[in-house]
Amino acid sequence: MIYGDKNLGVIVQNITGKQGTFHTELMNAYAREVGGRGVIAGVAPGKGGREVHGVPVYNTVREALREHDATASVCFVPGGAAGDSIMEAAHAGIELAVVITEHIPVHDAMKAIAYAKLHDCTVIGPNCPGLLSPGECKLGIMPAHLTRRGNVGVVSRSGTLTYEVVDELTRAGIGQSTVVGIGGDPVIGQTFVDVLARFEEDPQTKAVVVIGEVGGNLEEEGVRSTDLPVVTYIAGVSAPPEKRMGHAGAIIEGGEGDARSKVRRLAALNVPVASRPSEIPGLIREVL
Amino acid sequence: MKMLEYEAKPIFSEYGIPVPKGALIRAPEEVTAHLAELGDGVVLKAQVDVGGRGKAGGVLMADNGSALATARELFSREIKGIPVREVLVEERLAIEHEYYVSIAIDRSSKQPVVLFADAGGVEIESNVTAIRKVVVSPLLRDIPPFLMRELLGGAPKELAPVINSLYHVFQGKDAMLAEINPLVTTPRGVYAADAKLIVDDNALARQGIEVNRDLSEREREAEQHGFSYVELDGTIGVIGNGAGLTMSTLDLIEYYNGRAANFLDVGGGADQERVKHAVRLVASMPKVSVIVVNLLGGITRCDEVAKGIIAAGVAPTVIVRMAGTNEEEGRRLLAECGYRMLDSMDAAVKAAMEVVS
Repeated sequence: MIYGDKNLGVIVQNITGKQGTFHTELMNAYAREVGGRGVIAGVAPGKGGREVHGVPVYNTVREALREHDATASVCFVPGGAAGDSIMEAAHAGIELAVVITEHIPVHDAMKAIAYAKLHDCTVIGPNCPGLLSPGECKLGIMPAHLTRRGNVGVVSRSGTLTYEVVDELTRAGIGQSTVVGIGGDPVIGQTFVDVLARFEEDPQTKAVVVIGEVGGNLEEEGVRSTDLPVVTYIAGVSAPPEKRMGHAGAIIEGGEGDARSKVRRLAALNVPVASRPSEIPGLIREVL
Repeated sequence: MKMLEYEAKPIFSEYGIPVPKGALIRAPEEVTAHLAELGDGVVLKAQVDVGGRGKAGGVLMADNGSALATARELFSREIKGIPVREVLVEERLAIEHEYYVSIAIDRSSKQPVVLFADAGGVEIESNVTAIRKVVVSPLLRDIPPFLMRELLGGAPKELAPVINSLYHVFQGKDAMLAEINPLVTTPRGVYAADAKLIVDDNALARQGIEVNRDLSEREREAEQHGFSYVELDGTIGVIGNGAGLTMSTLDLIEYYNGRAANFLDVGGGADQERVKHAVRLVASMPKVSVIVVNLLGGITRCDEVAKGIIAAGVAPTVIVRMAGTNEEEGRRLLAECGYRMLDSMDAAVKAAMEVVS
């Protein structure tokens, strides 16, 4: 566990929305299973006083924190308003904001992340599935039944591809310490470097799977920054240049971000690079 | 979305950046009407979305006597394979010096980055070491003077207000990139001789842009259904959920020496209707002989997906790999209708390869 344990108190922003309501229930089902605190309050402007699956709703983050001892937020606020919600959470004293929202304008993301930093608030995402420390806590939308407690960290820019890799690991009997989806957008709060630094401080984590995509060079930055044994997988080696494959961040720019050259640069750092997800468990066994 | 020069220049001008006088023409004959106001000597610039336009013959000089013939010549050209349909006619500037300036997003520092070089124009790409850069906090409205001094070095101070205005364009227009190459000095002052602007696709609505021109018609149709979709040139159709998993499925097809016909990410929590549309869209490509459906997730309900596949009722073979809620029910429904459901993406892609080979 690198961002929190069972005792982490969580609020959900836009708890009354379809996704917010649905995932509040799933997060709390997981909290009950592991004996954690889970989601203890929700926020939805104008809807204070209601309850969602037994969780009290407040108009603002400040009001919620006045009544409840929470330090983390999971944000389901839609694109255009999400930047403001991140700043609201940071301003009110939230220390960890996990932003699930996709399609946030990149200028909003830059401003919100910079503002959160001034308030010592760590941002994960946007456009991410959140994080899960098996047996401790789940913040976000990851399917918990695929995970299993263990000593391999997973950090990824993808959503479902992360689940695929976690599923492969679990089926192979390899448990996870924490699984973090950092998000697929060009500008994200926690990068590979940040998450790997936390894994390095974590006594539970003995090796890390880094799952990257076409676009940018943050994977290499991360791999260079850590002394932990790392196995990587990069999606998009067959992607044609200049084509956008769904994630705003997954556009190939000027050669630097294309997956093949990324794979070459990682291999040059003597890091094992899996050519398909099913190879990852075998490679992890070799480095453990 | 990329803006062409003739669209970007009026925006730059609104923000106080001087641009040359000019007019857009759609036929060579239209050039004569603009010659009087543009003075003696014009520049004709093809409005095509390609890099290295000047070197590829997309920019021509003319005097008033030769303008019509030059316009005819330019309209008859293809610039890197793209036919010229629109031309920007501009006054010719008395250029003293060319500089380069652009503002983009630095993923690593998560902040805007301003790039500047003393030698702009067509040589910029071969001379990247001469570029100076500064990152600016996105919380600031202006580039602070100390950063501007660092950026400009010995270049004339009169460039500073123009670069700061470009920063305002970058912020105000939700830009991924705002670029002036070349930024020129003339006896009449500083001008943006060219203009490039790319607007964030996630901000098109608030920028009042209704249609994303960068997408093909089929891609736009897909977007309306909530998919992201890219057409490729192989024979194996692909439907997945999540960009990463779908890309990974494409890669796996290549790993087994196959070729994918498309990329289609149905997005989170796909229901029966959405899956049906997705399968039909992919099956509508004549070259597709088999479709791999690879879905994984906590929200996606396998019985819904199965119903969507069955409802689509398409001719190409559909091979399904899915895991999630109601997996057993989905498997049963598909089996009843003779579809194959496999346990891993490797197995699904191998099965597809058997169909195409």
